Amino acid sequence: MGLRNRFTTGENERAQQTVFGVRKETVEGIAWSLPYLAVFSVFLIWPALKGFYMSLHNWDPFVPSESEFIGLENYIELFNDPVFWDAMKGTIYFVALSVPLLVLLGLGLALGVNKNVKGKTVLRAIYFSPYILTVAVVTLIWSEVYSEGYGLINYYLGFVMSDPPGWLTSTNLAMPALAFMTVWWLVGFNFVIFLAARQGVPERLYEAARLDGASTWRAFKDVTLPQMRNSILFVVIIQFILQFQVFAQPFVLTSGGPRGSTDTLVYYLYRSAFSQHQYGYGAAIGYVLVMILVVIALINFKVIGTND
Amino acid sequence: MTDATTEQTSRFDDVSLQSLGTHAVLYGVALLMAIPYLYTISRSFQPRRYLTDPQPYWIPPEITFDHYQYLLTESLFVQWTINTFVIAGGATIIILVIDSMIAFSLTRLDWPGQSIVMGVILASFMVPYYMNIVPLYTVVSDLGLVNSYLGVILPAVASPLGVFLLYQFFRDIPDEYEEAARLDGFSTFQIYYRIVLPLARPILASLALFMFVYNWNAFLWPLIVLSDEAAYTLPIGLVNLYQGNITTPGLHMAVTVLASLPLFIVYLFFQGEIVRAVQIQGTGTTG
Repeated sequence: MGLRNRFTTGENERAQQTVFGVRKETVEGIAWSLPYLAVFSVFLIWPALKGFYMSLHNWDPFVPSESEFIGLENYIELFNDPVFWDAMKGTIYFVALSVPLLVLLGLGLALGVNKNVKGKTVLRAIYFSPYILTVAVVTLIWSEVYSEGYGLINYYLGFVMSDPPGWLTSTNLAMPALAFMTVWWLVGFNFVIFLAARQGVPERLYEAARLDGASTWRAFKDVTLPQMRNSILFVVIIQFILQFQVFAQPFVLTSGGPRGSTDTLVYYLYRSAFSQHQYGYGAAIGYVLVMILVVIALINFKVIGTND
Repeated sequence: MTDATTEQTSRFDDVSLQSLGTHAVLYGVALLMAIPYLYTISRSFQPRRYLTDPQPYWIPPEITFDHYQYLLTESLFVQWTINTFVIAGGATIIILVIDSMIAFSLTRLDWPGQSIVMGVILASFMVPYYMNIVPLYTVVSDLGLVNSYLGVILPAVASPLGVFLLYQFFRDIPDEYEEAARLDGFSTFQIYYRIVLPLARPILASLALFMFVYNWNAFLWPLIVLSDEAAYTLPIGLVNLYQGNITTPGLHMAVTVLASLPLFIVYLFFQGEIVRAVQIQGTGTTG
């Protein structure tokens, strides 16, 4: 940041110029930062602080100044709210299904494509392409694939099963169906990051391993994994954070059903604030969500980050 | 045949078998991943009676453009497309301008407090976007921006990702370029506009594409801010069609094809840049 040479005369003269007694470079520096800082303060920092304030109130959306201060009551209510716990369970189940698959499949595809495979560009394009679709399009496409009456999967399952299940109408299958669809949608992101990381591993390390007579498995365990640790840590943390905030899939496809089996935390936050107008309660859910995500990130750093 | 040659051939067979297996798995996954697309495209051209037949038709026995025609003439599809273009394009342009300005100020200018500013921006990465939506909605509503383009654009512009990526790139530009330019009498603006920005063109292009695609696809925030049907973006509009009373599968499939088409064209032309933007994100945030 400030660690720059100031040997040239041009720089010295510049450093001495002042505007109303303030160094010119200071004035310029602040002026150049101001447009972003204004938007950043109003639309990110201020809401983050205001959210905490709101979560301590029984927020009145129509006359905010009349909002009643209730301390931690929103949080206490949250902990005794069965819908909140169901949404929490649903979210954890979704994360447990989607994140390992997203990471392992992404890694497997990247290591596979990195080998001497024909048509790498085509494969890369196909794996990555669903990632550029909006989640709304993804859910609409899969509503056709999963559909009970004329769905693609059940038509072919019909040849081997007399009574194929309703993927989105069964309490056991709806969440796995949403998770599988999410893996299809997002695995390309991880694939692309892992591919770049694998290509960054120096080939001489593999040559050395080969000379030592290391098996493919040993080379993977002792060269590939440690060399790719940073990327793996990044992908795992990012996927935890993103998948914990799952919203659109249950919102569009299942409305949280059947019988609450696909309800999630962000979907509950959305309903509390924007359907039931309990803004303070919604803000409290948001804060609990952040605390969970911070803890998850720290655990990930501990488990993957420091393990040599 | 000596032992050595037998061993060699069998090892060769092993390798080619392994390679065959790898190919089979990779192409198998690719086919499975492509199936939902192909099916969607095929169904968007099928007349209603084939769509309600339990048997799927991969190649439609009869082609119709009715679904597309309906969308383009009877729905607000064109309006939604314009809205999405204005929002994604507007957000992208503003992000490029103000993010490059502050990144320039933090790396190429020297002023007190800049490390604190960068620290706060970095720390804001920890704020998950969704946690903010309730208070953010009250802020946007207080400012009278509900149902407006700016109400969607400005919160998107507050994202610290672009600042972070450009900061890393600008920091690595050698000081010599700048010092030579100063000696030639360049002003700060000229250094930004004629030296730093041209050098950063590749990363600006990657960032622009990434932000355009991201904002084109944004879902939850536009859903909250835009309540008037004529103000919807494409993702919100098509979910509205889906959840509304018009339950024609052909229409759903046509709307997904039409809504994705602009992005697929962008992707075909700029594949490298989009992939690179994703990779910079992956390497930049941990390294």
